[in-house]
Amino acid sequence: MNFSLIGALQILFKILIFPGLLFVVVIGLFLAGIDRKLVARMQKRVGPPLRQPWFDFLKLLGKETIVPHAANKAVYLAAPVIGFTGLVVMALFIPVFGYSTFSGNGDLIVLLYLLTIPAVALIIGGSASGSPYAGIGISREMVTMMSYELPLIIILLSVARKVGGSALCFSLGQIVNWQASNGCLAFHPALIPAMLAMLLVIPAEVGTQPFDVAEAETEICEGPLIEYSGAPLAVFKLNTAMKMFIMTALFTNLFFGGVSTASLIGAGIPAIALDAVIMVLICIVVTFLSMSLIHAITARFKIEHLFKFYWTVVAGLAALSLVLVWFGL
Amino acid sequence: MSYIHFPVIAVMTLFMGAFLTVVLGRHSKGVRSFIALAASCVSFALIAMLVKPVMIDGEIISYWMGNWAPMSGYAIGIGYEVDQLGLFFALLVVTTILLSAVYSIRYIEKDSSQDFYYVLFLMLSGSVLGLVMTGDVFNMFIMIEIMTFTAVGLTAFRNTSFGAVEAGFKYLVIGSIGSSFTLFGIAVLYGQCHTLNMAQLSAMLYGNHSPATLMAFALMFTGLAVKSYIVPFHTPAADAYTTAPSSISMVFSGMVNKAGVYGMIRLVYIIFRTVDMPSVQTLIVLFGTVTMFIGVTMALAQHDFKRLLAFHSISQIGYVITAAGLCTSLGLSAGLFHAMNHTLFKGLLFLCAGAVLRSTGTTNLDQLGGLSKRMPKTTLCFLVGAFSISGLPPFNGFASKWLVYQAAYEKAVTTGNIFYAFVTVTAVVVSVMTLASFIKVTQAAFFGQLPARLADVEEAPGLMLLPMYIMSLLCVGTGIFYDKVYQYLLDPAVRAAFTVSNYIDRMMGDGYAEAAGVEDVFASNPHFSYWNPVIWLALFVIVFCAAYICVVTSKGSRGQILSDEGGAEDGKYATFFSGEKALPSHVAGSDLFWGFKTDWKGYFRVMEGLHSGIVNDYALYVVAAAAFVVVFTFAFLR
Amino acid sequence: MLKNAIAKSMMRSPWIYHINTGSCNGCDIELVAVLTPRYDAERFGFKLAGTPRHADIVVISGPVTSQSKDRLIRTLAQVPEPKCVVTLGSCPQSGNVFKGSYSVEAPVENFVHVDVAIAGCTVKPEAVIAGLYKAAEILEKKREAMNK
Repeated sequence: MNFSLIGALQILFKILIFPGLLFVVVIGLFLAGIDRKLVARMQKRVGPPLRQPWFDFLKLLGKETIVPHAANKAVYLAAPVIGFTGLVVMALFIPVFGYSTFSGNGDLIVLLYLLTIPAVALIIGGSASGSPYAGIGISREMVTMMSYELPLIIILLSVARKVGGSALCFSLGQIVNWQASNGCLAFHPALIPAMLAMLLVIPAEVGTQPFDVAEAETEICEGPLIEYSGAPLAVFKLNTAMKMFIMTALFTNLFFGGVSTASLIGAGIPAIALDAVIMVLICIVVTFLSMSLIHAITARFKIEHLFKFYWTVVAGLAALSLVLVWFGL
Repeated sequence: MSYIHFPVIAVMTLFMGAFLTVVLGRHSKGVRSFIALAASCVSFALIAMLVKPVMIDGEIISYWMGNWAPMSGYAIGIGYEVDQLGLFFALLVVTTILLSAVYSIRYIEKDSSQDFYYVLFLMLSGSVLGLVMTGDVFNMFIMIEIMTFTAVGLTAFRNTSFGAVEAGFKYLVIGSIGSSFTLFGIAVLYGQCHTLNMAQLSAMLYGNHSPATLMAFALMFTGLAVKSYIVPFHTPAADAYTTAPSSISMVFSGMVNKAGVYGMIRLVYIIFRTVDMPSVQTLIVLFGTVTMFIGVTMALAQHDFKRLLAFHSISQIGYVITAAGLCTSLGLSAGLFHAMNHTLFKGLLFLCAGAVLRSTGTTNLDQLGGLSKRMPKTTLCFLVGAFSISGLPPFNGFASKWLVYQAAYEKAVTTGNIFYAFVTVTAVVVSVMTLASFIKVTQAAFFGQLPARLADVEEAPGLMLLPMYIMSLLCVGTGIFYDKVYQYLLDPAVRAAFTVSNYIDRMMGDGYAEAAGVEDVFASNPHFSYWNPVIWLALFVIVFCAAYICVVTSKGSRGQILSDEGGAEDGKYATFFSGEKALPSHVAGSDLFWGFKTDWKGYFRVMEGLHSGIVNDYALYVVAAAAFVVVFTFAFLR
Repeated sequence: MLKNAIAKSMMRSPWIYHINTGSCNGCDIELVAVLTPRYDAERFGFKLAGTPRHADIVVISGPVTSQSKDRLIRTLAQVPEPKCVVTLGSCPQSGNVFKGSYSVEAPVENFVHVDVAIAGCTVKPEAVIAGLYKAAEILEKKREAMNK
């Protein structure tokens, strides 16, 4: 690694601004705003302004943070920050098509595990708050996680098999490059079931309705978040928004990785900027399809139904893809 | 003194320690602890000194007891042969012994007949250490026997507690059946080859299997599988780990079942070299996959802390077996790495369970809760262990599981066999379920609300915390510097397993292997590129500190953080209880994962029926599985 | 700058926690009606929160039965500052038709500070929105007062 001043500044820029912290936060909150607006429009409402997630975030920063008696203070306050950090660092592993912080590498299995860090942070935080509602909430969160992890790994393996052929390929950068020369994976018939499965995995991962059983505010008072207030709650809400972006960006890279403009206008800053814009546009479409649409037309699952749904329907779709890919389609 | 004597001295020190404890340690607690500590320190030091010559310089130590060197090409005496694979396991063993000995000092101070405890403990340690370093099959069997019987004694050590004697009995029956299979296999082998030396056997059996040796293979495979507690031989393990003192549970999961795993690896990689056959790979991977799945699902149904850990031990051994059975260098590295990590994190978790048991008097997850307030250090260690076993980055469990997935999927894509793809999927799902059951322990025992009964529980004493700290550090350290671990420990061990001729030549004289037609299949170097935990961790720490300062500590424009340190009954700090006055209410172990359990109730009902607790059933499983292995061997092995 | 942004956001994102202290359910239905497409209070950022820890505005409906008085006070204490209390309908203000009952503790002002009172039996959704909006403005003022 280059330790010169320019190099250090570049790395700092990547971590703090693009494609790290600032980019993820801004786009994440933007997507969250779009989601709320879209749901409202689909229900014939006006809906909150696009800036609404920002207002929510800032407002929560200004509120008191109450640490209850039963809570373990250190863990209770650190948990949201751990989740936030996990997401920021993970964002550095997800390329904006060809461009990423660490020379095009993002291992799929590593990403799968990094994705669990925010969920575990939520679980540990909720557990540390000492509330019985949070206990139920973390139980549901964990079952949700078990539900979507099975289809998710099958999807990732299908993609890896398609791209790698008879060689091991877990690199997200490689997957994107492959698509640049062979066309987007979304247009390969064998992977269409996997894509549909991924669209259904995203809302569970982010925790939007109807898969928000863990944070069901009407039954278990927001589950793990029940005792949180003020800045830690703000960070948890921010985490959800960032997850929205990270999951949709992962989707984009996996299935629409080939639409980079670098080959058209040549590599450089304009191409990266244009790529980022295209990526955000695709993310908006994915947000609409996988989160807003499903949110607007469905009611919340029961936890046992959620588990069954993911292990049969969604995992079935993904497995269909894996089998098709395996036998050379 | 040359280092070639070290292996034997290390084993003898431990056995001598046992003897001295009987002679000198009957009445004085200090003497007993001193002997145990001194013996384990000496053996640790001796084995650690072998790292330089064996691991780094690549030497293989051979030692003939009483200088009974081979005569006219036949090995007569008992030989010790420490290659990199053996030393790798020996390192795990001595680390476990040392930490367990330190932990035992305070942990068993309230028990009676401690001298017996130390005698059995040192005998067990010596036997396992001997087992991983011996170069003689019959000597291995003797060590297995000592191991089994001392382990039975230690299982039933707290014979006043519920189920201890029963667990000891189950262990005795199943263990003896396993030993008998091993002995029978060895006998058949001896009848065929007229030698018991592993190196010579390896040379003779290389690519040269007769029905009798295949029978021997099947029997020895089953016998060693019983010792590593893979499904369906796991049944006594669950009881034994639960009722044994925690320091011994740690020894069981850290080295006793590793001894079985070592035996299996030695058997299929060196002695019979059958692992190149796809059918054997399928057999081992099948056993491993079933083991990890059944282990983890059974663990999810448990609500006793130690019993849950016991089933996780079984499940993690499944990972090791699966990875080792892939017969690729990446696979074996993954398996050995996971074996090592399992020793570390499972030992750590058993020690935490022991600390909880000592402080609260129970390991029932339905009766614990909120211990993080009273035992913060134990909680910290537990979280490190739990995150390691669940494979969260950057802990060591992640690094090894990641290698397991890579190895399994590499096998799948290179052979085009979709079976291995589903093995990969199962491994990932099992990992998530592992996380789930540790979330359960975290919530049920350490977080949540503190029951009034446990309000004045005390933290574990320093001598018990010390081994826990060491293991926590090792868990983090091996996770972050996994490339160094690979370079210095795993790679030599894997090379040793794949270069049979070295093993044979060192023992039987140069050229012996070549004369017997042994060819080394060397596998390519595994590559790990995408995961750099150092950079990741550095980023994580920096961002975390920055964000933590912003969120938690900043003053002024932001809302204040209020916490009621005094504990006055202010409604503001009470847990929200739907407006009611907050009552002590804790979501305990059995209450969690309801949705999952209802969806799987059919499966759990079957499993409950199979784990009947009747030793006759368990013996039947062992015999049935042995029959299966024999049939499989004759049907598919060529 | 952050202080001002936070104060502004206070008004734009008030989360509501609703406590029913023995109401006949009429006002509760009207409160929910406010979130329906016809009135859509979400365009001002109003949202129903599931726990008092998340709330900015606490909406009280019902005549405060003696059973619910303790629970009301306890829940209000658990709401982090700055917060606003809004009463919904006539019951909390006067006891309405239940006034004089042995089991009714209204008016709620006797033991809780009330910022906005929305009158009516039942309240009209328009009035609810106006009242909540007023409460949001009070929130911003409270936050500004905290800044000083």
